[in-house]
Amino acid sequence: MTNIWEIGTDIGGTFTDIIAIRRDTSETRIAKVPSRPHAPVQAMLEAIEAVGLRRSDVKRFIHGTTRITNAIVEERLPKIALIATKGFEDVLEIARYRRRDLYRLDIAPKAKSLVPREMCFALDERLDHEGQVLKPLAEAEIERLIAWLKETGVESVAVSLLHAYANPVHEQMLAERLKAIVPYVSLSHEINPEAREYERTSSTAFNAAAMPIAVEYLSELEERLPIGAGLQVFHSAGAMIPISAVKRRPLVMAMSGPAAGVAASVSIARQLKKSRVLTFDMGGTTTDVCLIVDGQAEMADGKMLGDRPLRQPMLAVHSIGAGGGSIVRAGAGGLTVGPESAGSEPGPACYGRGGTKPTITDANALLGYLNPETKLGDRIGIDVDAAARVIEPIAQGLGLSLTETALGIIRVANATMARALRRVTVERGIDGRDCTLLAFGGGGPMHAAGLAELYGITEIVVPAASSAFSALGCLTADFSFLQQQTLRVALDGIDLTRVTQRIEALGEQTVVPLLANAIPRDSIQIELVALMRYAAQADAIPVPFTMPLDVDRLRQDFLVKHRELFGYATNESCVIESVRAQARQPSTTEVSRPTTVLRAKAAPKRRCSFDGALDVMTDVIDRSAMTSVVIGPAIIEDAWSTVVLPAQWQATPDSNGNLYLAKVAS
Amino acid sequence: MKLDPFAVEVIRHGLSAAAEEMSLVMTRSARSPLLREAGDLSSAITDAQGELVGQGRDIPVHLGAMAYTIRELLKVVPAATLSEGDVLIYNLGALGGNHLNDVKVVRPVFFEGDIVAFAVSLAHWPDIGGTWPGSYLAKAIDTFQEALRIPPIKVATAAGVSDAIVQFLKVNVRDPESCEGDLLGQIACTLAGKKRIIELCKQHSKAMFVAALSRLHDLSEAEMREAILGLPDGVYEGEDFLDDGGPGDEPARIHVKITIKGDEATFDLSESCDRVSNFCNTTSFIAKSAVAYSARIMSGRDMQQNGGALRPLTIITRPGSIFEPGLTAPVAAGNHETSLRIVDAIFLAMQDVIPERLSSGGATTSGMLSFAEPRQDGSWKMLYEVHAGGEGARHNRAGCAATRVHLTNTSNTPAEAIEANYNIRVEQQAIRWGSGGAGAYPGGDGVVRSYRILASSMHLTSCVERKLIPPFGLKGGAPGETARLTLTRGSEVIDVEGKSNLVLQRDDVITIEMCGGGGYGRA
Repeated sequence: MTNIWEIGTDIGGTFTDIIAIRRDTSETRIAKVPSRPHAPVQAMLEAIEAVGLRRSDVKRFIHGTTRITNAIVEERLPKIALIATKGFEDVLEIARYRRRDLYRLDIAPKAKSLVPREMCFALDERLDHEGQVLKPLAEAEIERLIAWLKETGVESVAVSLLHAYANPVHEQMLAERLKAIVPYVSLSHEINPEAREYERTSSTAFNAAAMPIAVEYLSELEERLPIGAGLQVFHSAGAMIPISAVKRRPLVMAMSGPAAGVAASVSIARQLKKSRVLTFDMGGTTTDVCLIVDGQAEMADGKMLGDRPLRQPMLAVHSIGAGGGSIVRAGAGGLTVGPESAGSEPGPACYGRGGTKPTITDANALLGYLNPETKLGDRIGIDVDAAARVIEPIAQGLGLSLTETALGIIRVANATMARALRRVTVERGIDGRDCTLLAFGGGGPMHAAGLAELYGITEIVVPAASSAFSALGCLTADFSFLQQQTLRVALDGIDLTRVTQRIEALGEQTVVPLLANAIPRDSIQIELVALMRYAAQADAIPVPFTMPLDVDRLRQDFLVKHRELFGYATNESCVIESVRAQARQPSTTEVSRPTTVLRAKAAPKRRCSFDGALDVMTDVIDRSAMTSVVIGPAIIEDAWSTVVLPAQWQATPDSNGNLYLAKVAS
Repeated sequence: MKLDPFAVEVIRHGLSAAAEEMSLVMTRSARSPLLREAGDLSSAITDAQGELVGQGRDIPVHLGAMAYTIRELLKVVPAATLSEGDVLIYNLGALGGNHLNDVKVVRPVFFEGDIVAFAVSLAHWPDIGGTWPGSYLAKAIDTFQEALRIPPIKVATAAGVSDAIVQFLKVNVRDPESCEGDLLGQIACTLAGKKRIIELCKQHSKAMFVAALSRLHDLSEAEMREAILGLPDGVYEGEDFLDDGGPGDEPARIHVKITIKGDEATFDLSESCDRVSNFCNTTSFIAKSAVAYSARIMSGRDMQQNGGALRPLTIITRPGSIFEPGLTAPVAAGNHETSLRIVDAIFLAMQDVIPERLSSGGATTSGMLSFAEPRQDGSWKMLYEVHAGGEGARHNRAGCAATRVHLTNTSNTPAEAIEANYNIRVEQQAIRWGSGGAGAYPGGDGVVRSYRILASSMHLTSCVERKLIPPFGLKGGAPGETARLTLTRGSEVIDVEGKSNLVLQRDDVITIEMCGGGGYGRA
């Protein structure tokens, strides 16, 4: 009876969610335990106990974590050194000249360099953009570097030489020699083999800074949960990867947490056969949104982290700094929500832990949406009076009632969210109103109907296990590995034989990590995407293709995509900037309806307010017992989440426990 | 109409999001490196009267001038002559303009038969004809020498983009291929803005939308009035100088007299110098743009930048001065040099009143170098590159190194992108350590960048201020180092004029050392 459970966990800032599935019987268990920022491994082991299992019961353990992201954002990073081409060693300090805020002199215009100037080494060597060596790297220069490194005693170094993406020869020479004296070496041509020196160097420096943290944390996990290859983490591109592969490139974990939620959404989108889905994951401090088209999440080339660029292929998750804890302000300039947040400490006033500023969650509490009997994660209760006290001053200032004010706050919050949805759809030239909104996270199901109304979306799905949805994603995701390589070839006069060889070689490289995990070759699919642009453009747009390469087809598909995005296309010559290959073993995991119960017996009715319907006694429905259509207004609850169903909306459950929300046909 | 405060906020979000989306569309589809790498473009939305109501996170000097771009346009092109689907293009200084390179593409947005807004795209074209590749001529005698002048023309109508006009533009610029792609990008950008505005109108009703725009002006006006009321009444004077172009080519004076009275402020620039002898003249709209930025800094508040915020401000310029030099004066560089000197003069005027809201003098020059290389077919390949200097220090922190300040915010073009696209090698791209002025908080350091020419010849334009007169320190802080521009030809090192046009040859190395920021407080 041992070793039959597969576990997914999502380690968030406040809570660690866990979901366990028993393969033979499909039994599913869910729990939520407080996170331990200073002992994350301990929290994971506690989570296993919380679902009533022993470590020896676990066959696979997959986790999504914000550990690396938080270390970067909170600037708790170890000291590293940067080795750059002479004349370019200040690249991180220079950045791209731009300041982050146009009109504020009180804040520093740019993020501080990740590497202080005395830790930047100018290496005498030089390549050109075609990879030709203009100045060879001399032995004496390597020795000078080694002497300097020994003197600094630094443990992790980033090597980012000019044009290394075109020819890694000098970086590779250094790698051989540095291995002996420095435990951690990050090379720019491995971390991010793409042109533009600041972005590549920044990404490489991030990797170097994350490496000691990642290795320490992952090693502890391996030691305390010794299940070998069954121990996996979730990577930014939306799939799982064995721990051994992460230690050298911890940066792939940078978007691990949000990516797991998107992966779960991908499974649901495929299962429900929804061709266009917008994910809406609203948490305490941030909200993440992502677009899924035809069962595939959109990919991005990178993102800003702590105002510094991190460039590598990842799910195109757009995060905004607004969540339940965002603070509401009223001033002469109007009413605004965020970007300041009450965070998890002290949190919203209604959590009764010393919060004194009005937040979105307080508005939700005041409207009656939160069950006053429930204890979140066994420790946080809801104090509606405290919410009223902090919203009162705003209501007085506006000359409105408390309820009207709270409803207004929710509308403004939804406008902020709508902006994030718009961002991810317009970047892909898609009309968000044609999408299904998939709402999860603590706040997603509460705000979904209001947001949909504002944005013009007509269908919402609140998935089963919506509160532990990211943890679920860890289990239901495909096993996959992704690589991207710069080709930079013009379609006119393309050398088809050579390009075909390069693409096929890339595909085969991508398969290797899967084969290493005993996945049979014939169950692996390789998906190819060309990143294409007009010769004179900088930004490339993704165009999926299959082998054998059909150049005319590719050109046509590019023109169609360009027209979709920008409304026009010309006959200029176009270029394949790079090719992205993803090897994937499609997931076969099916999740049955999880057993979850209401912790606190809900009263059958509660006084709630909605737009256009104030102070109405509202039905409170136990979601786990729901079998038929519910007409709003109603509140639908399970142990950890609340679905708000306004008047003129209806909720329909399916047999897997997903809820469909739609306007009642009038 | 009853307006609830929440609807106004929802519409405000919608407008900002729409303007940001416009810039995104523009950057992603642009051809010129200046637009796609450096981001020298801006997007805005105005109300039906042409008052600014929404803007992207772009370039403050553009955004400030765009507050006038539509208002002035409507004086010569009455709204009644516009139809659904029309898109106008123009660049004249007299129409709320700044310099001829900044081409505006404007689309009126109709809803239920009426114009409810305008979507505006501004983009700096790397070349727009004229005497010299890049359209900056330091010693131009008039604006006809500078570039092609475009009055408001319908570049598109409901029937589509006018091929004749596109052809007309293409034959008058030196990089026609990029020009066409950039122009289509600008048109697409206004289309994106239009779609979002129509959505907002549908969602909230036309009447609500229009009322909300008017309310947004009122809110910003109230905020600005409250801020000015918080400043002590009085008359404050400040002045700073451009390096040259004044009488006898001496430094040119920029002077401001600020009168704060109750909740209103007057900025009188009349005592500034007369029309200058180089391309640093500018338009009154640029003066207003610089004042609008400075007033926002003086307010110490975060507010929606729109037409309402300008209402409590009176801005006076004198005919015949550098700010009203006549309709045909050369103005290419005034956009980013003279405008910044106004900010400097205002900060100096207010230094004893609100020092904690200001910063010491920063790198208030574009530090622009533009390179042009002829192609085989007679067209030209353009690289327009600005450089960052040091930020001025503040009362509680040192200035940041290598930063664009105040009205400017364009990026560098990465060395790896330059080398892949031009016959230029970037030999060095470093911090000019120690160039920031000393102080209790030192000023930020500038950058130093060297370009080696690999082509047989290359046309260069320089536009570098602060070579003579350094960025000031405040409260006893030392000024930053002045900028330097040198040409290394063989073993010879030659000083290059800050405002010049010259032809470089193979293996020439041009080096710019940008000025540092001023320090704050005694060291």
